[in-house]
Amino acid sequence: MTDDQQPAADALVGRLELSAPATPEIMDLVHGMIEHLWTTHPDIGERDRARFEMSVIEILGNIVEHAYAAEETHPSTRRFQIALAATEDRLVARLADNGLPVGLDLSGAVMPDELAESGRGLALATAALDDLGYHRVGDRNLWDLLCLRGSSA
Amino acid sequence: MIEFAVETRDDGIGVVTPQGRLNMVSARRLKEILSELVAGGTHRIVVDLGETTFLDSSGLGALIGGLKSARQSGGDLRIARVSPAVMTVFELTNLDRVLRARDSVDSAFDD
Repeated sequence: MTDDQQPAADALVGRLELSAPATPEIMDLVHGMIEHLWTTHPDIGERDRARFEMSVIEILGNIVEHAYAAEETHPSTRRFQIALAATEDRLVARLADNGLPVGLDLSGAVMPDELAESGRGLALATAALDDLGYHRVGDRNLWDLLCLRGSSA
Repeated sequence: MIEFAVETRDDGIGVVTPQGRLNMVSARRLKEILSELVAGGTHRIVVDLGETTFLDSSGLGALIGGLKSARQSGGDLRIARVSPAVMTVFELTNLDRVLRARDSVDSAFDD
């Protein structure tokens, strides 16, 4: 993390939280949560909204698509938690899931060939955010997303 | 939620208008629509993004897939009326060079 003094998204007053099955269909609900965040913080700029929403959805998509790929767990036990919050200077999100550990080095998340049809998700989130942290804690994956308002990332 | 308006104009150009969010779920549908158009003989396609409120890497993948199959058939795929929010995603991936945004659907194939 770039700034350890700041509380994580799931500890901020005013945060929005959801715990739900990790299915593609849940995405619209998360889009709805983000929309609510914009309604309650009308001063957040369009570019910050765009890069934050896209990054949250990319990480959630990654959880839904990959975290359970090789797992035989019954689908009903596949869950994720998300907390979103906006403060005066930042937009933060924490996503957690009980899927497989993510064996990747985020610094190596590079854009694929221009005409590739997949493999851009994490590279896109990394490029759009000011910080993307990943930790394996116990049997859970934790993702911390940071978007500093008005930054050039 | 998303809906797709699909029409083939008199000049043979197919116009696809995704209305809503293009994410992992809806990108699959867009990919199918573009494949069906090309398979049906429509090789010049404009994707009108004027009513697309959100785009992620899955949506980009569907557009690139459509671009490749249209070009393989001797045609092309172009995008038009891109909002600033959606443009951010093209810029972050440098795909604004591969899929150059056109101002309007009508002029998308003028050059």
